[in-house]
Formats: sequence, structure tokens, C-alpha cells
Amino acid sequence: MSEPPASRRNAFAKGLALLASGAAIAFCGTFALLHFAHGADSSAELARFGRAYATVRADYVEPPGDQQLVEGALSGMLGDLDPHSSYFDPRTFAAMQVKTEGQYGGLGLVIGVEDGLVTVVSPIEDTPASRAGLKSGDRILSIDGKQTTGLKLDDVQDKLRGAAGTKVVLSVMRQGLHDPFDVKLTREVIAVEGVTHKREGDLGYIKIPAFNEHTDEGVRRAVAALRKEIGPRLKGYILDLRDDGGGLLDQAVAVSDDFLDGGEIVSIRGRHPEDTQRFDAKPGDVTDGKPIVILVNGGTASASEIVAGALQDHRRARVEGSLTFGKGSVQTVIPLDDGKAGALHITTARYYTPSGRSIQTTGIVPDVAVADSNTADTEALQSLIGREADLPHHLVAEGTPIKSDVASIIRPDPKKKYADFQLTYAEQMLRGPTRR
Amino acid sequence: MKRFALIGVGGVAGFAAALMLFPAARGASDLSAYHQLDLFSDAFERVRANYVRPVQDSELVDNAIEGMVSALDPHSSYMDAKNFADMRIQTKGEFAGLGIEVTMEDGLVKVISPIDDTPAAKAGLKTGDFIAAINSTPIQGMSLNDAIDKMRGQNGTKVSLTILRPGSKKPFDVTLTRAVIHVDSVKFRREGDVGYIRISAFNERTASGLENAVRNLKAQIGGSLRGYVIDLRNDPGGLLDQAVAVSDDFLNAGEIVSTRGRHPDDTERYNARGGDITDGKSIVVLINGGTASASEIVAGALQDHKRAQVVGMTSFGKGSVQTIIPLGEGGGALRLTTARYYTPSGHSIQATGIVPDVAVSQSDNDEATTKLRISEANLPGHLQGEAAKKANQTPIKPPAGKKFDDFQLSYALDLLRGGKTVASLTKSASAN
Repeated sequence: MSEPPASRRNAFAKGLALLASGAAIAFCGTFALLHFAHGADSSAELARFGRAYATVRADYVEPPGDQQLVEGALSGMLGDLDPHSSYFDPRTFAAMQVKTEGQYGGLGLVIGVEDGLVTVVSPIEDTPASRAGLKSGDRILSIDGKQTTGLKLDDVQDKLRGAAGTKVVLSVMRQGLHDPFDVKLTREVIAVEGVTHKREGDLGYIKIPAFNEHTDEGVRRAVAALRKEIGPRLKGYILDLRDDGGGLLDQAVAVSDDFLDGGEIVSIRGRHPEDTQRFDAKPGDVTDGKPIVILVNGGTASASEIVAGALQDHRRARVEGSLTFGKGSVQTVIPLDDGKAGALHITTARYYTPSGRSIQTTGIVPDVAVADSNTADTEALQSLIGREADLPHHLVAEGTPIKSDVASIIRPDPKKKYADFQLTYAEQMLRGPTRR
Repeated sequence: MKRFALIGVGGVAGFAAALMLFPAARGASDLSAYHQLDLFSDAFERVRANYVRPVQDSELVDNAIEGMVSALDPHSSYMDAKNFADMRIQTKGEFAGLGIEVTMEDGLVKVISPIDDTPAAKAGLKTGDFIAAINSTPIQGMSLNDAIDKMRGQNGTKVSLTILRPGSKKPFDVTLTRAVIHVDSVKFRREGDVGYIRISAFNERTASGLENAVRNLKAQIGGSLRGYVIDLRNDPGGLLDQAVAVSDDFLNAGEIVSTRGRHPDDTERYNARGGDITDGKSIVVLINGGTASASEIVAGALQDHKRAQVVGMTSFGKGSVQTIIPLGEGGGALRLTTARYYTPSGHSIQATGIVPDVAVSQSDNDEATTKLRISEANLPGHLQGEAAKKANQTPIKPPAGKKFDDFQLSYALDLLRGGKTVASLTKSASAN
């Protein structure tokens, strides 16, 4: 707004005059070391950062905390790289540790961003969110008094989570209501959804809602149970990966391996060729080669896309539904100062399907495009969630572009009612065109 | 960093130059600064080495500085080298444009209105015209900002626009010469025996515009002139010196505003010089939640000196000063909050805003809008106000069943005229 007043310029000059002080010399030491490490270019850039840091420390209207400054810098540096890279401050990082130890609580909300506002996509049944009456379409304006606008979705998610038993207050704006209202919820351990299965006549239906430590075990158990229940008439399996946001890579590999006799499942390629890792299938197919249809949609992401991509490339399964999310990047957590200074969460590699396709942004294109039954609703929700390619600064696709040979989308007969048209269609594919 | 035991002599100088900027660095605080910088360089190195694709060092550092500065408060930010260069051209007045208000429609730039007496107006551009190409580059696929950037440039340079005009069959080209565009921030009109002056922003010509408005209104209304309404509603502010000059126009003496930084020697005071261009006539200042920064300085100064009655709703509360600090060659610049504004009575405007003497709401349901309105206090990471004065006035609202084009203005006019007022239908004014 205004040019620097004269007194400020004087203060600046005073700062310069401190060249000879002991402090300055101490700093020279560190930076000289850095210079040695990085060569001229990066040292110049680090010096530029040092200048900005020193200026803010000296001239900001209030004395800023050094830690606060560097945390701001790290989130800025990582946050603009891509939608999945971010800086975990020490508090968030500590909370993450708890999460992996199983004490982690949440509210049971699936959220997305619409019009720049954090929006409830759906509350999960029988969770604090559903019991408090939160509804799809509700806008979450603030969490414990902190505004959500401008936050990344991942950060919002982190703020919603916390130790089980702790309380959180959401300020919610609901369509039709004038004023936002507050909802107080108590976090609880959200039962990680396990693999479920059911018999559909002569077909086995298996739903994988997420990839956690128990997923592969769950799939094997489901296959065994279905084989026993249906017996020799068993025609095939439907593997439902719709709205499965992914999870653990090793479980995605194990689940793919269950259905494959050999060959590559997925490869992970980083910046340097020596970083490439390949995961191969071991002999043995738990279904003895029975036909499989995999159901996917825009909510199928990451680990789920690995499974769909591997079985599709090996022609082991037909993939049915709509285009998947396209999250084909791997993040690595790098603790800083043994975690005392938080951790870097950065994208370090990409996933590639066995045929060399990158999943990133393109997603898995289904062999048969089939629309959902309640079209209007789901499409609206899908647009809430968005796809990787819609996220700002997403990594661009690399590798062989996928040719979409989807000629037309199969839609349900508007005169008929279907509980789940995609599932109905999958059953028809497995049974063949005999009936109808 | 312990791995690298040797000190490269040549590289030291540059770093030393950066680091000696720590003024008055002392013991413990040094250690913390040292440690944090070390962490940063460690993180920087790891990202450089491990990120999935190679990233420019300058991009990493630009984003780091941006993240560091913008986390401080909503008004601090970083301008990279390019943005900083653009800004310097702008403030030097060499930044020129065509003088059109535009929007984006159907992928083309649409003219909302040409501003009077600008190259666009002289070339005959009309409201509703579509701009299809700039210097033969099609607009399609460009963002509005990119298009505007292309239309701007050095004063005196030429630009050719391809225009699609509804009603004409073929697109046609016009060549315009860029000129420095002055937007009038002051408008005025006679309201019977009262002079109404609207200030929409504080730019280089605001004080002179105000002086011109007062002169004209005096001549127009003559001896029956009762007073002035200064409308600062939705005025987001602008230049500090203009806010000082505008306040000075109505004040004979005394402090207008002070800016106080971290160190006592940073304090600056601005005082009024003799002379009131209105000869002491009554003034009502209108404010609302959109009145911010420079506007709040004016409202606060005239209120503290009891020179004006302030009417309307509590203002935005942007009471901080940003200073542009260049980071040296090719390094962009920080736009950093370095001080706070204080009104003459010592109130910080920050977060609290200016509380009107008479709270008057524009409509029946203003309360709902006030709750949802964004003010400084709602912005994430805003600076805390000091000494918040809490005002729990119930605003005067338009009486039910009556229609007002602008109830706050009607109230202000009545206040200046005295006697029976729209307000007396509801509640008598408490302030004098």
C-alpha cells in the first residue's frame, strides 16, 4: 500500500551494518556447507530464501516464530507441487503415527469440494456424522472455529480426524437454511470396512471398500465361502471396486495375485531408473480361472486402480462401469529431524500397469462403459468428488496414452427400475445372453 | 549437513550478504533461527533429490517464500520477479490500457462498458461488443486475466482488436493506442440542500476529486447548503497519503492517523494542516462492512475529532500497513505487513473496524447478511486487534412496509436536516 517509510529503510541499513556480528558468522557456516552440497544454482536460491526469511523476521509487524515461518515455507513449497504432496507439521505427523497404531478416530464423512467449499458427499452409516444428521450437500464452513476455505481437502480430512473420544465442532451451512449452525461430534474409531460377499444365484459377488491390512485375507475368505456355498455351478465372480479410494499397495498386489497365475502386476517408477520396482504374480489362482467382472467408477482410485489395471491388462477380468479417478502416484513420508519437525509427504513415483500405462490422470478406461441406475444423483455426486485431472497442479500423464475405444455408454432402460444397474449388467455379462 | 565438512570459500559471500540482514540477532533466538533454516535446507535438498520429476530450484523457493509470507496474515504476500516488475510498471504510471470494463462470455471477452474519454471510447467500442482476437491472437482458450494482460502495455503503443458486434455481419479490426487510464474515484450530486459525495476508492486523484466535488456542490447549492454526506460504503481503500489528504480537507488540526510498527522508532504520525474546505459544515460519513483500510482511516479520523457523524454498519477492520520490500536482484519482493493503523484516539482499526455512531442497517434482513459477511476478523490468520471496543448497538432498520432505495442515505440526509426523519418513525438518533 505505501512505499517503505524512511525509518524502515534506516532499519534496513542498520541490519546491513551488523555484518560483522558473531551471529552472521555462525550463519555463514551453515550456508557455506549448503553451497558446497548443491553447487552454485541451488545455493543462490537458498540464499534468496534466507534473505526473505531474514526480512520477515526483522520487519514483520509482530515478532514471528521461526518455526512458524519455516512451517509456512515448507507447506508452500510442497503444497504447490501436486495435489497429494504436502507438509505434515509436527502435530499432524504425531497424529498420523497414532492413526497407524489404530487409536485413530474420525467422524465418518466422505467429503469433496464444490464451489470452493468443503461439501459432504455422504455420511457413512452408523458413524458420528450420520447420527448427528449431517446430510449430503451440507457445506462445512469451519472446523473448531477454523475456516475451511482455502484448505486442501487432505488438510480438511486431517482436521476432522483425531484421537477417538475427542470432540470437534463443525459449522455447517445447509441449503434452505439462512444461517450456518454448529454441530458438535465426538470422534470414534470408524470401523474399517472389511471385504463383504454375497451369493447372486450362480455368481459370487465380492465388495472391496478399501485396501487395508486385512483385505487380501478377506478376499480369499470370501472366495472360499462362495465356492462352498454355490458349489460346482459357480459361473464367475463380480469384484466390486466402486468408490474404493485405495489404501495399501502390498494389499493391491496380493489381491491381484490371487487371480493371476504369473506376470507383472504393477511397477513403480521414480525419477531414477534404479528406483523402479516391479511386483510379479506367483502361480495359483484362487478361483481356478473362473470369469471375473470388475466394477469401477469415478471413486475407484489408487490401489483399486492397480487391481483393475492388472486384471484388465492380463485379460483376466472385464472391467465394467465408468472411468476411474486416475490417482497413479506414490507418496513417501520423509520425517524431518526424526519427526520432531514434522515430515515431508511427497510424490516420489508413478504406478504403471503391466502394459506400461500410467494410471495418473487417465485412470482405467472400462472395457464396457455402463452408467449407474440413478443417473442424475450419481453424476452430481461424481462431479463433487472430481477426478485427478480436475485437481489443480496434478501431475500430468506419462507413458502410453490410453486409447478410449468406448463407443457408447450402456444406460439402464428408463422405464425399468434397477437397484444397481451396473451390477445387473455385470451378472448378464457373466451368464451370457441366454436369458432375454 | 554434517557430511560436508569443507567450506567452499567462494560461495560464502552471497550467503553472508543474506544473513547479515538479521538485525540485533541474539543468543537463543539465533539458535532457533539457525536450526529452522537448517531444517528448511534439509527439506529443500530432499525434495530436489526425490520428487517424482525434477523441479526448478527457483520454483521451490518461490513457493516456499509465498507459503512463509502468506501464512502470516491475509494481506502479506510474495510477488515473484515477474509480478514485481509488472507492479513497478503500474505504480510508475507507465502502465497503460484501453479503458474498457470487460467480462468473459462464451469464451470471448465481452465489453461491459467503455470508460469515458479513453482510447476504447474514442475508437467507438460499445457495450455488448465481443473481442475475438488481440493483435490477431484469438481469445478462445485464454483466461480473462491473460486477455487483459495482452491488452495492457506501454503507454503509447498500439494494439489491434478484432471485434464481433451483434448486428454486424463480419468481424472488424480496430487499432487503439494505449493510454494511462485514470478511473475517477469520486462522484457527487446534489441532494436538495445536501451535497452527496461518493468515494469508491483511494487513488492518486481522490483528494483532488473530492476538492473539485466540494467546489462544485458549493456553487450549485449556494447559501442553503446544510452539509455533506461522504459515502465510503464498499470502498476497499487504496493509498494512505490520499486518505490523509481527504481527512485533512475536513479537519483544521490534530492527528489524522498513526502507523505503528514493531519498534517504537517506526511510529509515524500524520497531522492535519489548517483549513476546512467545507467551512465547518456538518458531515455524515456512511460506512458498511465493505468499508476498509484507507476508508476506515478517514471515517476514524473524522469520528474521533467529532467532525462527522458516522452512520451505517461496522466497517471491515483492515488496519494494517503493507510495505513492499524488494529481495534484491531477480528476487521478487515481499508485500509484508509492517505496521498497524491507529485512529487519533489510539484505537487500532485492525479486526475491530470503525463502529458507527449510529448503527443503521440498509434492509430488514441485514442481520443475516452481517453474520455471513466477510470481515477481517473472519479471515483465517488475521492479526488480532488490540483494545477492541465492543459495540452492541441494535441497528436501526427501515420501518416495515416502507420502501427505500437507500435507507442509510435517507437516514443520513434526515440527520443533516434535523426535524422529522425516517428514523423518527423507528427510533430517534442517539448520537450528536
